[in-house]
Amino acid sequence: MKLSRTSFALMATLLAGTALPTFANATVTVLGWPGGSEETALRATVETYNKQASDADKVELLFFNREGFYDKLQADMAAGSSAFDVNLVATYSLGRYAPYMEPVDLGADAAKVFGESVLKTMQFDGKQYGVPTDLSLHFMYYRRDLIDALMKDDAAKKTYGEIAQKYLGKPLQPKDPDSWTWDDWAATALYFTKQVNPDSPVRYGTVLQMKNLLFNMMVFQSLPRSYGGDWMDKDGNVTVDSDAYKTGLELYKKLYDAGSSPKDSLSYEYAETNAAFASGQAATALQWNAAAADLTSTEKSPAVAEATGIVAPPAGPDGRADHIHGLGLGLNKNAKNKEGAVKFLKWLATEDAALLYARSGGSPALSPDVVAKVAKERPDLVKLGEFASKYGYVMTGATSAGALPVYELQAKEFTGYWSGQQSLEDAFAHTKAGMQDLLKK
Amino acid sequence: MNHLPDAGPRPGVRRVWRIDMALVTRAEGRMYLTPLVGFLLLFLGFPAIVNLIYSVSTVTFETLRSPVLSGFGNYVAVLNDREFWSSAWFSLRFGILTASAECLIGLFLAIFLAPLLSKRPVLMAPLMLPLMVAPAMVGLMYRLVLHEFAGPIPHYLFEWFGDSPAFLDINNAFRTLVVVETLQWTPFAFLLFYMAYSAIPLDVREASSLDGASPFEIVRWIDLPLMKPTLVIAFFIRFIDGFRVFDNVYALTGSGAGGSTTSLSIYVYQAFFKEGAIGKAVAASVVLFVASFIVLHGLNRLAGRGKL
Repeated sequence: MKLSRTSFALMATLLAGTALPTFANATVTVLGWPGGSEETALRATVETYNKQASDADKVELLFFNREGFYDKLQADMAAGSSAFDVNLVATYSLGRYAPYMEPVDLGADAAKVFGESVLKTMQFDGKQYGVPTDLSLHFMYYRRDLIDALMKDDAAKKTYGEIAQKYLGKPLQPKDPDSWTWDDWAATALYFTKQVNPDSPVRYGTVLQMKNLLFNMMVFQSLPRSYGGDWMDKDGNVTVDSDAYKTGLELYKKLYDAGSSPKDSLSYEYAETNAAFASGQAATALQWNAAAADLTSTEKSPAVAEATGIVAPPAGPDGRADHIHGLGLGLNKNAKNKEGAVKFLKWLATEDAALLYARSGGSPALSPDVVAKVAKERPDLVKLGEFASKYGYVMTGATSAGALPVYELQAKEFTGYWSGQQSLEDAFAHTKAGMQDLLKK
Repeated sequence: MNHLPDAGPRPGVRRVWRIDMALVTRAEGRMYLTPLVGFLLLFLGFPAIVNLIYSVSTVTFETLRSPVLSGFGNYVAVLNDREFWSSAWFSLRFGILTASAECLIGLFLAIFLAPLLSKRPVLMAPLMLPLMVAPAMVGLMYRLVLHEFAGPIPHYLFEWFGDSPAFLDINNAFRTLVVVETLQWTPFAFLLFYMAYSAIPLDVREASSLDGASPFEIVRWIDLPLMKPTLVIAFFIRFIDGFRVFDNVYALTGSGAGGSTTSLSIYVYQAFFKEGAIGKAVAASVVLFVASFIVLHGLNRLAGRGKL
């Protein structure tokens, strides 16, 4: 092939262009949580901040994939990366990243905006390491129209009772979702399963997130917790092989095997669960609160938005439990522009910024006075605060440096049991041995 | 460097070859090679040495710069780990199955489409397109395509047959991953085979045709033997790629329920990042390196003897 002079010159320019460094305008780089409502809200909030900030303080956002996010962050920070000035932190990984971060003083007003208990989700060794941007817990989403119809139909109630007796061995009757126990939820899920009840108006009774992924374990955790489950007892012994965990794991498997959740549930996480519920083919879903904005939006979920009800996770013998998990932004020890970064973090902790973040789709846990100002647009945030204070919990040992690997381990072993690759006893034996090792460190 | 024969063979004297180094002296040659050797030592040698040290050390993210030597415990841990062996088995099966499928389909397409492509070379472009997509994107794409409520394939299966299989459940995940990998990389094998097929001189085929060989016999006895080196090379390149698979599997199923789709690369990644067991992860990668070296060295020797 002959190259003309012009095409040769063009190719040379292209090659040279790829080797040149890119020029960034912003001087504060913020590494955020990618791919969800958190990203949308942070983008909108930063846009407003940049309008008022001087050129030297302008913020540029950086996002990478959720998959392996914490691992990449750890590798970057351990290597002393200065590619970002402000980075994401989470309650469960604070101990892991604190050595590479610097505490930041958010000022006295921060406590008025978020409340002391929420600020604590970003504290390690008594020092504030970040601004709490989002509080994550779980809601039980359900289809109000389906439940209402069930409650009014005597024949349906009879079928419901028969299904509950057959699958759960208990004579249950339909109930208002806000007073569900896990058995009530399971019976409802089975009733709305086509494979169990051919008359069901939807294909599935629920959507279980069963992918081998640590976040899915956070969702699952509240079931055994409401039966009294914990990772460790007072003396530091690992108690994951308790009856509470056994009950929870068996219930998930029973529902999956009965066809109450989509067949591919073993590869489902946040996005797949949202898609399944939004399709109108699932009656319930235990899902992150961050999904509330999408599932109740007539634009994004037209099939279910009007009929989506939200309650706290069902109750067990020990009452209700809701796994809380805080996300926030903190200061990288190796930040190039610490001054600009601290300015941004302080601004983010003000009432105006928190309200803007909430209005843009984020899920900050705000003090009652502040949340009242967005209650109309974001009723789910009122629920978020209420559920966090009433049912929020953290497993014993779940703030240690080994916490994330524990979730990873559980994800692998529990999904191994759900998929039928190993017995419950083996799953417990492997999980217990691994947890003893991880939590000992 | 020139290879020049002596003034021609004389009767009874074997031809002697002389290497003429007149253009570049030995010292100059070494000097020219120094930057390359320096580059290789720095970018390949240094990480290799660090890896070897880490593999016999106790090391964490906090002590990356000060590992403590602790003997061969990491190697023992890896070799006693049932997950290491199950992930090695996954990678081996995956590598052999995908390489075989890609080569067979690629060969069929190369020979079947050759007459068409010689007239319309522009058709090569769409056939090559899958190679342009990053494997991780392919994984994400199929996560959407195969999703029961968002994907087109389950949608039409439900519409036509009233049901759709679970593409990513424990029974089908492996098959789905093999199909996804094969669909993406068959064009690579096809491209190599098509080039090799086009390079076979037409007169050989014409001669055999005149001798009465059928099209099938021409393929069997003329084309395939002449394409053999390409077939073998393509198979091994695809096998190596399949064996070390990471991106699309990780994006599609993660390490799978109970670790059922953990390839060796995913095993090393998880040991390193998820467990923070840096020594164990590096020891596994050294075992993998040694095994690969033995296989490649064996192949090289076979090739040297002209058996390939």
